[in-house]
Amino acid sequence: MNQVTFRWRSPLFNIVQALITLAVALLMGALVIQVSGKDALGAYRTLFTTALGSRLSIADSLLASTPLIFTGLATAIAFRAGVFNVGVEGSLYLGAFAAAWVGFTWTALPGFLLIPLAFLAAGMVGGVWGLLPGYLKAYLRVDEIVTTIMLNYVAILFTSYLVNYPFLAPGLANSMSPKIVPAAQLPRLMKPSQLNLAFPIALLCVLALWFLMRRTTLGYELRMAGDNPIFARWAGMPVARTILQVMFISGFLGGLAGAGQVLGVNYRFVDGFSPGYGFDGITVALLGRNTPLGSLLAALLFGALRSGGSTMELFTDVPRDLIRVLEATIIFFVSAQFTFEFLRRRRALQDLSAS
Amino acid sequence: MTKTLIHVGFATLRMTTPLVLAALGGVFSQQVGLLNIALEGMMLMGAFAAVVVAAAVGSSVVGVGAAALVGLLTALIFAFFVIHLRADLIVAGLAVNILALGLTAYLLQVLFNTRGAYAPKDLEGLGSLTIPLLDQVPLLGPMLSGHKWLVYVTWLLVFLSWLVLYRTPLGIHIRAVGEHREAAETAGLPVKRIQYLALLTSGFLSGLAGAQLSLGNLTLFSENMSNGRGFMALAAVFFGQARPLPTALACLLFGVFEAVQIRLQMTVQIPNQLPQMLPYLIIVVVLTVLSLRERRLSAR
Amino acid sequence: MPYLEMRGITKIFPGVVANDRVTLTVEQGEIHALVGENGAGKTTLMRILYGMYRPDAGEIFLRGRRVEIPNPQAAIALGIGMVHQHFQLVPSLTVAENVELGRESRRFFLVDREQAIARVGALARRFGLAVDPTARVADLSVGVQQRVEILKLLYREADLLILDEPTAVLTPQETQELFQVLRRLRDEGRTLLFITHKLGEVLALSDRVTVLRRGRVTGVLETDRTNEEELARLMVGREVKVARRLQAASIGEPALRVEGLVVRDERGLTAVNNLSFTVHRGEIVGIAGVEGNGQRELLEALAGIRPLVQGRIWLDGREIHHLPVRMRREAGLGLIPEDRTQEGLNLLASIEENLAAVHYYRPPLSQRGLLHPAAISGFARKLISLFDIRVTSPTAPAAVLSGGNQQRVVVARELAADPSLLIAAHPTRGLDVGATQAVRRELLRLRDRGLGVLLISADLDEILALADRILVLFRGQVVGEVPAEQATQEMLGLMMAGHRPETLQADQEAR
Repeated sequence: MNQVTFRWRSPLFNIVQALITLAVALLMGALVIQVSGKDALGAYRTLFTTALGSRLSIADSLLASTPLIFTGLATAIAFRAGVFNVGVEGSLYLGAFAAAWVGFTWTALPGFLLIPLAFLAAGMVGGVWGLLPGYLKAYLRVDEIVTTIMLNYVAILFTSYLVNYPFLAPGLANSMSPKIVPAAQLPRLMKPSQLNLAFPIALLCVLALWFLMRRTTLGYELRMAGDNPIFARWAGMPVARTILQVMFISGFLGGLAGAGQVLGVNYRFVDGFSPGYGFDGITVALLGRNTPLGSLLAALLFGALRSGGSTMELFTDVPRDLIRVLEATIIFFVSAQFTFEFLRRRRALQDLSAS
Repeated sequence: MTKTLIHVGFATLRMTTPLVLAALGGVFSQQVGLLNIALEGMMLMGAFAAVVVAAAVGSSVVGVGAAALVGLLTALIFAFFVIHLRADLIVAGLAVNILALGLTAYLLQVLFNTRGAYAPKDLEGLGSLTIPLLDQVPLLGPMLSGHKWLVYVTWLLVFLSWLVLYRTPLGIHIRAVGEHREAAETAGLPVKRIQYLALLTSGFLSGLAGAQLSLGNLTLFSENMSNGRGFMALAAVFFGQARPLPTALACLLFGVFEAVQIRLQMTVQIPNQLPQMLPYLIIVVVLTVLSLRERRLSAR
Repeated sequence: MPYLEMRGITKIFPGVVANDRVTLTVEQGEIHALVGENGAGKTTLMRILYGMYRPDAGEIFLRGRRVEIPNPQAAIALGIGMVHQHFQLVPSLTVAENVELGRESRRFFLVDREQAIARVGALARRFGLAVDPTARVADLSVGVQQRVEILKLLYREADLLILDEPTAVLTPQETQELFQVLRRLRDEGRTLLFITHKLGEVLALSDRVTVLRRGRVTGVLETDRTNEEELARLMVGREVKVARRLQAASIGEPALRVEGLVVRDERGLTAVNNLSFTVHRGEIVGIAGVEGNGQRELLEALAGIRPLVQGRIWLDGREIHHLPVRMRREAGLGLIPEDRTQEGLNLLASIEENLAAVHYYRPPLSQRGLLHPAAISGFARKLISLFDIRVTSPTAPAAVLSGGNQQRVVVARELAADPSLLIAAHPTRGLDVGATQAVRRELLRLRDRGLGVLLISADLDEILALADRILVLFRGQVVGEVPAEQATQEMLGLMMAGHRPETLQADQEAR
């Protein structure tokens, strides 16, 4: 099975290709809009002005990108190591619940203890959840795509059960948990936007992951395992252990994503609160070519699209699901291998060494 | 007791039909060497098309045809990116699923101004068939007779799939391409065309699966209606080692668990999320057992 | 009028001219050999003939008529058939199904299995190829699989048969059998073209020979008017210093000891069957044998990649059979794996990173989980100069290196670890003559320095050139052990086919 590894290309090429891909996607989207009888230009204009028009809208875009940064990083590190972790959504839900639980249970603690504790709990729960499919893959060679997808449903159903029965907030119609105490609520950065502390934490994670991938032995091991796991084994690298470590980190970051939403926006765990942040993480990681910096940029882009998209739906009558269609188009074009010099050369060299 | 058994048996057959169809689609693409993650998305598109067209035209049969066609077209896009533009198989498959989610929700809003679900009034579902002599047989009769016609077609397709794959030249070619692509190439087989054919077939079958989902069971379309069935179908393909009959039987196994959990929900007083987890957990267990079996065969 | 004429064929890949105005003429009903070392352009030329590549310049004439060959189907239609070096057979299909692939016997829209079996059986009998049409290809031995490949060509009524390195996977005896088949085909009127780098075979089998060097034709000769030296000179163009094994300096302690090894392959069958041997410091032990007799499983078991069913392994007196790969390396094991690009290197990573792959986790390359980039660069630079690896930039991906340089990277990395035992599996496969000799010289140097070397190779010439002691592996067991002075190609060939030395001895005495 192929892994999602990218051939080496110059940074300029990467940027140019990303821009072209974006342009094509926007074109496709415009086509879809026009064909369904709406005004594409107007929709796009609204999209961009509301996404980036004012300080407030920028803050909203950053807010929307926050969970995507976490899930994008979570997915990127797994993909880079050759592990198709599609289970970030599950870690997100479990982490969200863990954070909420800390927030409405440990009410006596002060904020500077409570918040880190909540994040830590979320990360640990998410990480441990990732260990299960990780173990299955590393030691039993069970394909991780199907298992992580299945476990997503399990996690979502389980947290749904938790919030509808044992931890249901009394007296409310909707399925949600009790509200977390004010000490656990993340401070807002730019009122009246909901942009909060989770965003800078996400940025820190980007840095941490960059450092991990480039400067640590674990980073080296996961890159080698992602490029060529057979070689890694022959060289003596502990590939199974690496897979476990990567799945833990990936789940950890997914859990943080959930914590960010609970502690920073909703202030409680709400059944089904995620519109698919985990899956968006896949788009983000792919567009960002499985690198921390790339994922950050892609997350910011999609955050802007999402934020703009909601408003676009309000003011025009173009549904925000169009954004999903755009995402799919982007993924298609990013993954298409436009044969380029380097690739041709490599293949040619391989052909020759066979003559 | 017998009544419960019959009920569960009937429900299993009914509910596994979309699984079996999608899994057959998975079989064809697996045999040609392409792991098809997009069964889910193609099923969803089919489900949507079935309801929309059936409601518009007033005929559920046309709806089924539309579903198959839409599944085929979705597979065409997938195949184009994977075979011609060399996109990574898994990534493109995920893209198809995301596209299906977005497009169906978008069209739902744009065409019908609704969110969440579309249940047109007077939408006639698929017709049921009673098998004349069979329904007199005790226990098995009421289990096997009285299903929608698509259910019977499905099992016919299982047989046809076996026939094609193991008794026709095309089937041999498909298996050759999947097992040793270079051998097929040097034998002069049109490899890309064969891969396209297999993917289109899987699209066609997944589209049919979607039709059974929306027209056969419920007569409505709801967002994300497929809800993971495409991946369950994939797990069945692994379990059945991409052979049509074992794969179909694996689907039945999964279906039993789903029928059981629905029954549990109705009869026992536990929060419904817990039994709902059952089918998904079973699949993880099944895949683990599969891998363990393979390891035991090859190692110590 | 010649049967085939390829005139002025040129094929350029980015950076390399694979074929440079090559002209090849083959007469009807002859066996023509195409020789050259690895990288000379032989396979490229044949692939053009078979329609897998398009030439950038030049024309092809069949029986005087100009033809275009855009794809393998066209080649097949023109009566050209090719038996590739790596067999193109579908394992789970039967012989009949493989032979008929693409042109199946039909009954309505179904496959007519009886007719397929009958037709294939008749064809096999006609040409004296002993094959069971109903057998599954996966169950057949390599020699028989090759016959199936030939049958495929005959089924398509190929008049021109191309064989690419046909004897690479055969024992000397199987090779003789193959030659008989080929001669019979020629006598029946077919034209044969075979690619090889084994000069002995050229002289034994062919009528005429064309020599390629670096993409150009350097000679076209009548076989019975030439000899090995002339062919070698045309192939290589200069005198190459051949690595010559001198008497072993001194043999020391056992570096590697293996006892009662039993290993299973992927299918659960026993591949290594109660194997025991020792490699001392200061000697090269060669494991000879036709591929598929357990060498791969042995290698993987010694490396730590494949679990043992039974048996013990000692390295420098330490038991290592329960240790993972990394700890075996730390105990002094060096590994040059069989597949350079898949197992030996990460082509996507930089040359530096490849060189660091065994040691990255220890000081000075890293400390407590943090890498030291400067130390890694320095380490890489040192190895590059020490082993004369031709690179323009150490941070470039390993994929840009030539085969020979890639192998140098692997060797450099392994030796930097200062192992007591080096296992080298097919170390010169796919390398040109210069690189091959360089690697062989290096292995001899290691031996003289006091390392133990276990050489696993299917290339008898290589084993004979390097090994002090030769063990022949057949069906997972050692059928015989021969000191280098006493070994001959013939003897080894017989052992590789399963004959035990005692019986050989008896035969010799009986003569």
